[in-house]
Amino acid sequence: MVRRVLALTSGRIAVTILALIALLALLGPWLAPQNPLATSDNALAATSGAHWLGTDYLGRDVLSRLLDGSRISVLGSLEVALVALVVGAIPGILSVYLGRAFEWFTLRIADTLVALPFLLFAIAVIALLGNGITQAMLVTGVLVSPLFYRVSRAATLAVARSPYVEAAIVSGASIGWIVRRHVWTKVLPPIAVALAQTIGVGFVIVSSLTFLGIGVQPPEPTWGGLLASDLGYLSHRPWAPVAPALLIMVTVWACNLLADAIRDVSGEAGRALANDHKARANRREAAAGPHPAGGSR
Amino acid sequence: MPARPTNLRPGLRVRPARRAGRLRATALGTALAALLVPSLGACGSDASSATGNSTLKWASSYFPAHWDPVVSGSGAQFRQLALVYASLTRTDEQGKAVPDLAESWEYNDRGDRITFKLRPGQKFSDGEPIDATAVKAAIERAQKQKNSALFGDLTSIGKVEADGLEATLNLTQVDYQIPQLLGQRVLQIASPKAAKNPEKLDQNPVGAGPFVVQQLIPGTKAVLKKNSDYWDAENIHIDNVELVSAPDTSTVVSGLRTGVYNFADIDPSQADAAKKAGLDVFVQPGFNAANLSLNINKAPFDNDKVVDAVRHAVNREEFVRKLTFGYGEATDQPFPKGYVAYDPKSENAYPYDPAKAKKLLAEAGHKPGDLKLGLVIPSEDPQAEIVQSQLAAVGIKVTIKIDKNWSTPFFAKDLTFSLYGTTGRDSAAQTLTAHFGPNGPLNLSTPYEPAGFEEAVAKVRQTPLDSPDYAATLQAATRAGLQSKALVFTYASPNLFAKTKALSALPKNPGHIDWTGVKLSGAN
Repeated sequence: MVRRVLALTSGRIAVTILALIALLALLGPWLAPQNPLATSDNALAATSGAHWLGTDYLGRDVLSRLLDGSRISVLGSLEVALVALVVGAIPGILSVYLGRAFEWFTLRIADTLVALPFLLFAIAVIALLGNGITQAMLVTGVLVSPLFYRVSRAATLAVARSPYVEAAIVSGASIGWIVRRHVWTKVLPPIAVALAQTIGVGFVIVSSLTFLGIGVQPPEPTWGGLLASDLGYLSHRPWAPVAPALLIMVTVWACNLLADAIRDVSGEAGRALANDHKARANRREAAAGPHPAGGSR
Repeated sequence: MPARPTNLRPGLRVRPARRAGRLRATALGTALAALLVPSLGACGSDASSATGNSTLKWASSYFPAHWDPVVSGSGAQFRQLALVYASLTRTDEQGKAVPDLAESWEYNDRGDRITFKLRPGQKFSDGEPIDATAVKAAIERAQKQKNSALFGDLTSIGKVEADGLEATLNLTQVDYQIPQLLGQRVLQIASPKAAKNPEKLDQNPVGAGPFVVQQLIPGTKAVLKKNSDYWDAENIHIDNVELVSAPDTSTVVSGLRTGVYNFADIDPSQADAAKKAGLDVFVQPGFNAANLSLNINKAPFDNDKVVDAVRHAVNREEFVRKLTFGYGEATDQPFPKGYVAYDPKSENAYPYDPAKAKKLLAEAGHKPGDLKLGLVIPSEDPQAEIVQSQLAAVGIKVTIKIDKNWSTPFFAKDLTFSLYGTTGRDSAAQTLTAHFGPNGPLNLSTPYEPAGFEEAVAKVRQTPLDSPDYAATLQAATRAGLQSKALVFTYASPNLFAKTKALSALPKNPGHIDWTGVKLSGAN
């Protein structure tokens, strides 16, 4: 699937952007040209050779703070997505096989979680458990998990009634074996699409919470926090919000682009697309005529 | 952007730094309402123009959470409550007590009894008469009501006698500060009939001020109209007031520019934008002062050398430069420079000297970086980040902790290290006791009090305000108070406002917003 995603232009763009963002998260603190927490007398300075993106209201280098703040955004969004995956996908698959009681119970929980507004719930949890992005993202992940529950359940239901699965059951195969051997490969593509989308949603949630000053303690930099503080000084640095806003926007866009690319290359649609690519390639070859012997193209 | 603590004890409010006092969530939430409501109301304002009425549209960062003055206390929100409530006295442009509901007052020879004579024929907006019985009820309610934020300010007042229009206060000590004290900050008088139900009064205020509340949407908007029965109604030229909770500070200037508001308190960071937009930006005089609060009953501040190290580590000019945009000034006292209580002899007693701070820490046995402090504040505040970086420069590692329930441990004196700011009081003696007194709400180190302070403040109370010795006596009390190890003052933030040119200049009453004589012309 990876090769098929990379075969698409949109897939390559998305993967490149996300790889760069991941690199920022890993190496941001080391790439930062200055100490992101060090204040100076040079407050609200414009862009310059010393400060490529200027300085903030306390004279801190904005580029360094953006680079340093990328880790919280990336890790937070990954945390949301992975928690949602684990909490949602596994019960979603098992709900098809573990009997009606388990199915009814998990469906009701999923319905309940869908009804809760995750941003408000995250704020409430932080108020209860203390100001920290980890607990906020854990809760948000749980609230987003019904997406994975429904996607994995739907995919599993489609596979569960197929003749080869029934044959496996008749042959005495265990549920675990069936899930590993037959179900997982069918469920994986829609889950991958949902995962990419959820990472994007996670970025939006982390940015929203940190914009509101929730989840992190000052002076720790975050993309959302930088955006919020810049808005207070628009008359001094009107272009300041552009950098953090652009970073958030591009990252979320890349996640959605990746989700689209995965969707395009997976399942029946993916095979059709691949066949279409091959057919077009064949047509091009046919139109080009016979290759000259010993020549090069 | 303002950081405005919202959960403070009502008696003394933190002066806004930036992005303080309130959650940005609140700001974002109210932004829409604040922008939409007045916009929709624009149709109404057109109508009012047609009838010749003038409407003050005031966006305030201090929209009162409580409209019962006893609960709201004497913090910055008293200015909004002053639209509704009058008091025995008010202050003039020199900050001196002048008649309001009381037309005169007189002390006995010993200075332990004062009689206020009320203006005849006045009534509250619910028709109740304003007499000495109403004054007595107001004082006793402020002293006794369970959730009163004012009882600590009224300890000098004993038994109150009511006789027609004469209210006589028997004092527990000689105290010539009483006329200063019983002004808008401490004794806004509510109708005794309405005050019988304090919960109802809290959201349905009934007073005898220049305006009467017509509609109140808690936390969001208040609509008021001129009180024709107000004793000085002829000098009130504004017919209606729409008071709204200011949205995010960055949007206030836009609101002023587009006519959504015509008056607003603004953050210093917005002053330039307001000026560029052609608005009148002005600083109302006041008594604001911000400080670091240290609890010397707890380590490491139980060591004098650590306290002194913090005093020398503070660079006040950085606060002024980065937080006030040139509109504030450094202060090492609980008042701005130039105020009668400001003691020039105490000025710069602990100058910024990071080398000395490091030396003191070393003498206290602390290696660079091994002293760790938690700075607990109610909401995000750039002040805290400045404190953090300044203390880091001398080897003290500060972790900022935001506690939404900050006011409870702060006023219970459970915190070790915090920040506060006051908008001051009309009575300098009250400001001093609030900060340095053994039970002062701003003294994080209760019951500690600096040696000689109590005697010095008693002397202030015993000195008539028109005595030639008053200023020197007051400054001596300030000097005694500043021996306190519990407070390190940093800067005085400005009372900064912006208005459209349609609104005439406000009287320069220090710390107050007085609408007497203010006119609003037709165009905004």
